[in-house]
Formats: sequence, C-alpha cells, structure tokens
Amino acid sequence: MYGFAGQMLRINLKTGNISKQILSESFAKEWLGARGMVAKILYDEVPRDADPMGPKNKLVIAPGVLTGTFVGAGSKCGFGAISPATNSHADSSVGGHIGPELKFAGYDLIIFDDISPEPVFLFIEDDKVELRSAKHLWGKGSIDTEKQLKEELGEDFEIATIGPAGENGVVFACITHDFGRNAGRCGVGAVMGSKKIKAIAIKGTKSFPIYDLKSLTKQTEAIIQRTKPHPNMAPWQKYGTALFVGWSNDQASFPTRNFQSSYYDQWQTIDGERLVEECRVIDKACFGCWMNCGKYSRAKTRHGDVYIEGPEYETIALIGGSCAMTSIHDVTFANYLCDNLGMDTESGGSVVAFAMECYEKGIITKDDLDGHELRWGNIDDFEFIINKIAYQQGIGKVLAKGTKGAAEILGKDSIKFAMQQKGLESSGYESRWAPSMLLSFMTSDIGAHHNRSWSITVDLELGRDEIKGKAPVVVYLQHIRPIYDTLSICRLFWGELDVMPEEYVESLNYVTGWHTTEDELLKTSEKIWNLTRAHFLKRNGGPGRIHDIPPARYYEEPILDGPAKGKVLSLEKINAMLDEYYEARGWDKNGNPTEELLLDLGMKAVVDDLKEINLLGKPLPDGIPKVRGQKLKPKAM
Amino acid sequence: MICNSVLTAKNKGTMTVYLKSGGKLREKLKPDVDQYTRKIEVEEGLSLREILNQFEIPVELIAFAFVDGRLERLDYFPEDGQVITLQPPVSGG
Repeated sequence: MYGFAGQMLRINLKTGNISKQILSESFAKEWLGARGMVAKILYDEVPRDADPMGPKNKLVIAPGVLTGTFVGAGSKCGFGAISPATNSHADSSVGGHIGPELKFAGYDLIIFDDISPEPVFLFIEDDKVELRSAKHLWGKGSIDTEKQLKEELGEDFEIATIGPAGENGVVFACITHDFGRNAGRCGVGAVMGSKKIKAIAIKGTKSFPIYDLKSLTKQTEAIIQRTKPHPNMAPWQKYGTALFVGWSNDQASFPTRNFQSSYYDQWQTIDGERLVEECRVIDKACFGCWMNCGKYSRAKTRHGDVYIEGPEYETIALIGGSCAMTSIHDVTFANYLCDNLGMDTESGGSVVAFAMECYEKGIITKDDLDGHELRWGNIDDFEFIINKIAYQQGIGKVLAKGTKGAAEILGKDSIKFAMQQKGLESSGYESRWAPSMLLSFMTSDIGAHHNRSWSITVDLELGRDEIKGKAPVVVYLQHIRPIYDTLSICRLFWGELDVMPEEYVESLNYVTGWHTTEDELLKTSEKIWNLTRAHFLKRNGGPGRIHDIPPARYYEEPILDGPAKGKVLSLEKINAMLDEYYEARGWDKNGNPTEELLLDLGMKAVVDDLKEINLLGKPLPDGIPKVRGQKLKPKAM
Repeated sequence: MICNSVLTAKNKGTMTVYLKSGGKLREKLKPDVDQYTRKIEVEEGLSLREILNQFEIPVELIAFAFVDGRLERLDYFPEDGQVITLQPPVSGG
C-alpha cells in the first residue's frame, strides 16, 4: 500500500501488551488518516457509557496519508479520544515533526487502551516499541519533560508530552510537542494523563512507499517556486498568525474581557509588531514547510526569562484580549505557563477570563482565592490561578472543569457568560456581529473551535448583520476543512499561498496511486461530520438543536463598546440560522441526521444506532438536498 | 507602531504605487505587472483606503498592508514608487 507505513500499534496499558497489526487498505482508503481514522475508531470501539477518564476510553494517535511526504507542510498528526470537556468525539492535531517521525518508524496509527498501573512513556525506535517507566518524569512540566527526554534519549527523538494539568485531569489539558506546539483542544492531554502516559518518544529511520515519486517531486518543486514570491509569504514569515490581531480588532471581533466587548483599546501592546520587536528570538517551521510561521519567543518575567514557541493569534486573543493583558511579555509568559503546565492556551485563557469576570461580579471572592485577587490584565493573578487549576487546588478544582463545568457549580447565572459550545471554549473571535462565524462555532462537532470552519470572511462579504444565505457556505467550509485534517496537512498553504484543494487531490493520487477526486474527498468529509454528530447524540442525548444554542451572552447582552457597540443577536435569529443550516445538511428540524442522508452516505449502522436511541431525524418532506454545502459566491464588484 | 507619512499640500501631484496581492483579492486587484502586482497612478496625499476605494478594490477583504517590511493599516499614506502588499484575512493559531 502506497502512502502509508502499513502498520498500526495496539497497546494495552493495563497488561503492557503491544500488538503490531497490518493497517487495512480499505480502512485507510475510506478514512485517510488523522481526523477520519480517529472518528471511525472512537465511534466503533468506545462504549457509549465509557467514562472519558476511565479505562474504556481510547487514545488514538494518527498522522495522515500525506504526513511525512514531499507535499508542502505535510506535518500534521491527529490525537483523538472521547473528550472529558464535551463527552464526545474529539480530535486535535499538532504540527512539528512527530507525525512524520511516527510514519518513518513504520506506523500509521497507535491505539491505546485501558490504564497503566504506573506512569509510563512510549518508546519507539523503528521496530523497537516499549512502555518504559516515567516515574522520574511524572509531575514535571511539558517543556521540561521534552527537554529531559531529549537529553536522555538523544536530540533526534521527537517527543510529545503532557504536563501536570494532564496528570491531574484538567479537562482542557493538551499534548505538547516541539517546545510549544500543541494538540491543544478538547482535553486530549487529560485522557493521556488518565491513562498514565507521560510522553511518547519516537525515532524513525525508515521510509514508506510513494506511488509516483517523480511526479510528486515535480509538483512540489513547482509549488515551492510558485509560492516563494507569493505576496503573503513575507508578512507570514515575519509575524506568523499574530499579524491578525489589529485586523480582528478593527473588525470588532477581538474577544475582550471575556467577550464582554469585541474591541480592545490596548491591542497595540500585544500585537504581532510588539511580538516581533520585543520577544521573537527565531522563526520555526514544521516538517516540510517553507513558510516558517512559528515564532520562538522570549518573555521577560519576574522569575527571569522564559522561552516558548508563540504566542499565536488565538493565544493573544484569549489570553491577551480576553484577560485584558497590556504587555506582550505577559501574554508570552502566560503562553509559557499554559504550555509547561500542559493546558490549551485557548481554553486556559478563556477559563481565566471567565474567572476574572466572576471575580469582578463577586461570584468568586478573595475567600475563594486564599486572599488573592483576580484582576483583569494582571499577570501575577493569572499565574496564581493557572497554577491552582493545573494542580486542582481550591477554586482551581472548579475551574479545571472548564467554563461550562465551572459555571454549573458556581451558578448565579455565570453559565450565561461561560463562552463555550458543547463544553469547548470558543476560539478567538467575538461573533455577535459575525453570525456565520457564530454559526460555525454553534454547529462544530467538537465545540467552538475555529479550525472546523472559519467563516468570518463570509460575514464580511455577505453583510455583518445578514443571517440568511450563510448556512450553506458554513456547511461547505465544514466539508473543506476535513480534507486537510484527514490528509493531515497544514491548511495555511491553501488559505495563504493559494495551494488549492485540487492540487492536494493530485498530490494524494501521486502518493497513493489512487484516482480520488475532490468530490469524493468532500463526501468523506460529510461522512465524518455526520459520524461525529451521531456520536455526540449517542453520548449526550438530543435533540441536536439543544447542543447548538450558544451561551446567552450572544443573544441577551449587547456588545459594550467599540465599532460593534450595541450589536447582539436574538434567539429567534439564532434559531433561524440553525433552521437554514439543518436544511442545508439534510438534517431534520431538531438537528438530527435523517435516514435518507445517512443511507446516501453509506452509513447504515449509524441509522440503526440513532433509531435505537430515538434520535434518527424525521424524514424531510422534500427529501434531502442533492448538494449539501455551497461555495461562497464572490460579491460582484 | 503606525508610521504614516502625511504629505504636505506642496507635494501634491500624481504618484505611482504598486499594489500586490494573492488569493481571492488578486482577482479583484487585476494584476498587470506580474501575476500578483498592479501598477496604478494616483493623486498624492491619498490614504490607502481612499486609493482602494477609487479602484473599487473591496477594503473588507483586506486585513492590512505590508509596506517596507512593516504592517500598516488602511489609513496609511503611500509614497511614490512604493510596493504595497495587501493581505487578506486568514485564520490561524
């Protein structure tokens, strides 16, 4: 089989049994890798009643079919599990080098089952695969652990680790790799910690077969030559994602003080310009990438200098804007704290911002904080509370459940400003004046994550106040994204450098020898989307619509200030957007997938599952749409 | 830091500016120098926003400009001969 290493590992952590199995070609062709494989494995293998932190949950590591190839930025690796934050399917990807390294060692997939009696790390050096004791690493920070393992094993091992937050079950704990790149979302690090896996260390020296290496090389060389002079290359190389802080603020979409506002008057203290001038040490790139958008940075702190890759836009938005920081050094330091403690900076920033608002409103008091304060923009307060969360101490034990879980304990209407969807904290775009962006967050299968569909430009093109006509475009974007997530390549080459989906289809066929079309990949995306929707319904009940309604802040509280002052969506408009969205998807009015749709996608088993729990969508009077999803038609000039 | 060079009235005349962009914005820009670049003649003293409006290039599709290795906003005042890279918004993080 071309494009794959051809083997997978099944590891039972309780018994220590490690089994090498042949990767089935039909499975690989159907699900491609990363997000696709993760979705199928979790759906089929994790019992419906399995506790996300218990022995029956699985941790899946899956690069994709283009990972480790010559295809530009084929660096990604998926980490998946039932999320303790959302109680459903979760996949989170990381760039860097660990995905390619796993394939070079000879494996396309690792599935961890059960719980180890003692802390362990997985050691892989080509054919040698062992669970080794991690007692000496347990309790250490993610960055510190990566450094120590590289010292112990050798610089050429690629390492992924968890920090104390993952060990202690913080529901937004992440998996960290390459000194600051993270599989950040949905608490995959907490699941890794619950299984007592501290780290994964991989060294691979093999290769895997490519069907038409000559054509692939020629295509990639042409893309390199074409993209090097691309106008977007220089600004991205200089600033990375941080360059969008000013734009997001201009557009009144920059979350400020826990999304109370969408405009931050101190944005120039924390933007890309400040990052590059004050903190950037060197640029970093993932495997196979010539854009180098990663910024390895130094922050000056009261403890001395610390080093970390970042902060990226999302971190600046959710720690910088949402916690109202006024120094890029403070944001970078907070980024370092989250990474070393092993927490997602997006959820971590959001949870602290939520706690700061609770403190402002008197819901959390000094008594809850050992006499400490929790003031907007105060880095010492941020450091205090983020440590409490990582070690589940005092109020940290409440906040470690994420904003939704914490609000359910704290009460006093705090759920209205717990800025999450389905239990996952929102990415860094305030959306009361960006309805399609909000719809993307509302309907995302894993919760409010921007990478599932980034549609704010749809709002810019079709009108910020308009709600009609946006849902089919959101569906289309939700189908484009999984192409990148299953092939396991960085989407920035598409968005930034005009490397188009059809070029990746060509690459895929050079790599595999298949004759796949873009339409087939879009259909795979739709299958994945419906599979994870069904999985969510199976584990969390229904109807689907109740999980898609956003926090009340979006429809009850007008934006406080800035260009979007006074903007707010009504619940009626939100439901109207959902109506349009469900129709575009072929789901019923309740937001449940219909039998006709699932059969059209070849998912008979899912029909049976949803029937069993009475959550199969009612037949649509006019049948399902033939085409689900629609490209944005550019506004006429 | 925003760095604008506001021209005084005595400098007013026409100037040449090169606008560059990729992606969807490139279609709107209608490049004529190379695949990414369009050469335009405009009155001196206009802000980038005014220039883009004059040439019917949709400002809502532009996140910022990149000029001489720096980020600039749409209220930037271009100078004769400058190459202005227009950056569309893209998600990331």
